[in-house]
This record gives sequence, structure tokens and C-alpha cells, in this order.
Amino acid sequence: MEISPDAWVLYDWRGLQLNATVVFTWVVMAILVLGSWAITARLSESETVSRWQVALEVIVTTIRDQIAEVGADDPGRYLPFIGTLFLFIATANLLSVVPGYQPPTGSLSTTVSLALCVLIAVPLFSIANRGLAAYLRTYLQPTPLMLPFNLVSEASRTIALAVRLYGNVMSGTVIVGILISVAPFFFPVVMQILGLLTGLIQAYIFAILAMVYIGSASRTRPRAESPSPTDTGD
Amino acid sequence: MQVDWLTVAAQIVNFLILVWLLQRFLYRPITDAMARREARIESRLAEAKSARAEVEAEAEHLRKKREELDASREEVLRDARQEAAALRKEMEDELRKEMEDRRRAWEDHLKDERDDFAARLRQRAGHQVVGIVRRVLKDYAGSDLSDQVAGTFLDRLVNLDAEARGKLTAAAGRAGGPARLESNPPLKPAMRGQITRAIHEHIAPDIEVDHDEDEDLLLGMRLTIGEQTVEWSAARFLHRLETTLDEVIEGESRRRAMRMPASTESG
Repeated sequence: MEISPDAWVLYDWRGLQLNATVVFTWVVMAILVLGSWAITARLSESETVSRWQVALEVIVTTIRDQIAEVGADDPGRYLPFIGTLFLFIATANLLSVVPGYQPPTGSLSTTVSLALCVLIAVPLFSIANRGLAAYLRTYLQPTPLMLPFNLVSEASRTIALAVRLYGNVMSGTVIVGILISVAPFFFPVVMQILGLLTGLIQAYIFAILAMVYIGSASRTRPRAESPSPTDTGD
Repeated sequence: MQVDWLTVAAQIVNFLILVWLLQRFLYRPITDAMARREARIESRLAEAKSARAEVEAEAEHLRKKREELDASREEVLRDARQEAAALRKEMEDELRKEMEDRRRAWEDHLKDERDDFAARLRQRAGHQVVGIVRRVLKDYAGSDLSDQVAGTFLDRLVNLDAEARGKLTAAAGRAGGPARLESNPPLKPAMRGQITRAIHEHIAPDIEVDHDEDEDLLLGMRLTIGEQTVEWSAARFLHRLETTLDEVIEGESRRRAMRMPASTESG
């Protein structure tokens, strides 16, 4: 039984292997981009709006409101990054009800790559907001003695992000696989439904945590010490 | 739990591409469209607000205008009513005055007619009576009418009661002038002498008597001594007849006058 879609190689060209993770990622990307394009190509600015456009507007405004709730001053600036994280993970997880589909988020490579993106995005947004010196000074807060701990915190939360998403999605797939072999009629359906719920929740958690990291590092005036968001567990 | 770093690199690239694509096809068009729609709705709301204010102002203006019109209409109606009432009163007064004038003219006309009629009647009656008397006397007495008149007068003179005779005598004494004897028709000389003698004999022995003719007597004689008068004439009968006729005519015309205004009003 395959645990990771990375191992499912679909095409091999001189040692470059095209595995299922990348292929299903492209599928998810295609669905997202084509769906958005199909709807936004016929955008209406009058009072009568198609229900698809309304759905898209609801999704976009909800994500923007969530970003604003975390404390960002300009939600539009973070919308592409955070919104794409949420939409990609959510779509990848929800498609798991389709037979034969392997969620790319069930691959540690995908989650690590997303976590690395967050790891890079946090200093980028922070430096863009406050400048390099102010960003580097956050590692010496509250005292320079804390520098190693801050570095460890940075690394550990990235790993936590990656492993949390991977673990949840992978476990869902694995549990369904095991249940199919044990009790093939009823329980797998329940677990699939549960998988849809956890998939959405994980997408939400990942996106919100990324925003929290970016937001806390980008604030112009550092707030008093607050419990580290990395403690968020599940 | 293995990480394929090639896949990691590919997924990072994939993710960045997806961010760019979604920014291109999803976020920007949607947010732009929403912003534009919001702006449009806001502008339309502002437009609607201004249009509404305009309409309300117009409505207020129209309401004021209507109130003014109502007020002016009331005024015009009141004026017209007053004018009509005044005109009616004026016309009524005019009509009443005209009727009054007509009635007065009719009454004057009636009076004239009555007077005229009375005069004609008197004249005719007089002539008729005189004619009849004359003929009757002529036919039955076989004498001239003037002789009969003179005879009758002479009889009355002779048979005057004592009181009247005394008065005449006293008057003759006071007068100092001639007695005046008027007659119609004129007396014959013989009859004149008879009467003069009778006066001398019964009233005053030496009084002078002037003979005269008076058409007004119609038929008869009148002796005047001083302020005393003895008369026997058809004129006096006629006068009595005239009085009677006057009374009759007066009553008749009053009855007609009472009927006349009623018929005028109803016409």
C-alpha cells in the first residue's frame, strides 16, 4: 500500500520522475485556474450577478475578512498568498472523494514546500513592511539571549506546519484504506465525510497560521510577549 | 515520511505559479469588480438621494401651488357670489322701481281718464237733461221753457218762508247796491217786469234789479242780494247727479285698481 503519492511514478524521463503528487497538483491548479477564469471572464458589474460570481465573491471576501481579523492593516496585500494557500489545500483535500485521486497534500514533499513558502514569505513581508534591520531585531527580542530560541522557534513552526497538514491528510487516506480492508461497506463512507471536514479545517488552520506568523512579524509596533502561535495543536 | 526534494522544488514552483495565476484570474478581477460595483451603487445611491430630494422639493412646490390655487379659487368664488348677489339686488330694485313707475303711470292715466269721463258725462248729462226737460215742458205745458222757469222761480220767491225773506231783506238793506238776477235762458221783458215787481213787493220795495245771463245755470235763475242768494236751477240738480255719479265711478275704479296690480304681477 502506497502511503505517499510521491512513490507513484507516472512517467520517467532519463531519471526525472513525474510522480502523482505533481500531476494531481497540476490537476488541482487546472481546476482552480480554469474555474476562476470561466467565471471571471463574464464578470458582471451590474446589480444582477450570476450565482457563481456571488460564490467567488463570498469566498474572496471571507478570506479577506479573515486576514483582516488576524490583524493585517491591508488585507488586499496578503490575499493572493494566504488565499491561494487556503484554496489550494482545501481543493486538494476535498477532491479526495473522487475515486483514484490521491491528495497531493498527503505528500510530505508538498506540505514541506508549502511550509518553506511560508518560512520565506514571513521575512519577505516583514522586511517589506518594516525594513531589514527592524526584522532582524525581532530575533533579539526581548533579549539577545533569546536568539537561539527564536531561531529554533522559526524552524520548529515550519516543521510543525508541514507535518501537521501531512499527518492529517495522510492519516485520513491511510485510515480509509485500512477500514476498506476491515469493514468495506459503511465505515469508509463515514470516514470520507469526516475526511472532507478535517481537510477543510486543515486548510483553514494552515492559512490562518501562515497569516498569524506573517502578521506578528510584520507589525510595525511589536506587541507585548504573547504565547507563541506554534503552540496551536490539534 | 520521506521528502523528495525534487518534488519539493517542483511544488514550490507550482505553488508560486498558482499564486500568480489566481491573482491574475481570481483575486484582482473579483476585487476590482466589487470595488467598481460598490462605487457604482454608491454613485447611484447618491443620484437617487439627490433625485429624491429634487422630487420632494418639486412635490412641495406643487403642493404649495395647489394650496394657492385652492385659496384663489375660493376667493374668486366668493367674489363672484357677492357680485351675483349685488347684481340680483340691483336688478330687483330696478324691476320694483319700474313696476312702481308703471303702476303710478297707470294710476295717473286712470285718474285722467276718470276725470275726463266724468266731465264728458256731466256735460252730456246736462245737455240731455236740459233737452229732455225742455221737450217735456214744451210738450206738456205748451209754453216756453223760460216762462216755466221764471214762473217757478216767481212762485218760490213769493212763497219764501219768513226767515229766508227776512235774511234777504236784511241783506238788501246792508248792500246798498242793486240786486242781481241771473237767468238762463234769458227772460222775456214781461217776465222780467213780473219778477222785478215781485222782488219789490216781497223783499225790498225800492231795490234796483240788474238782469243778467249765466250759462252755468243751464236752466234756471239765481237772485243775489248782497251775500244772500236764492236759486232754482237745473245746474243744482245736475250737481247733485254729478255727485252721485262721482261716487259710483269712484267705487268702480277702486275695485278695478285692486284687481289691476294683481294681474300685472302675475303677468
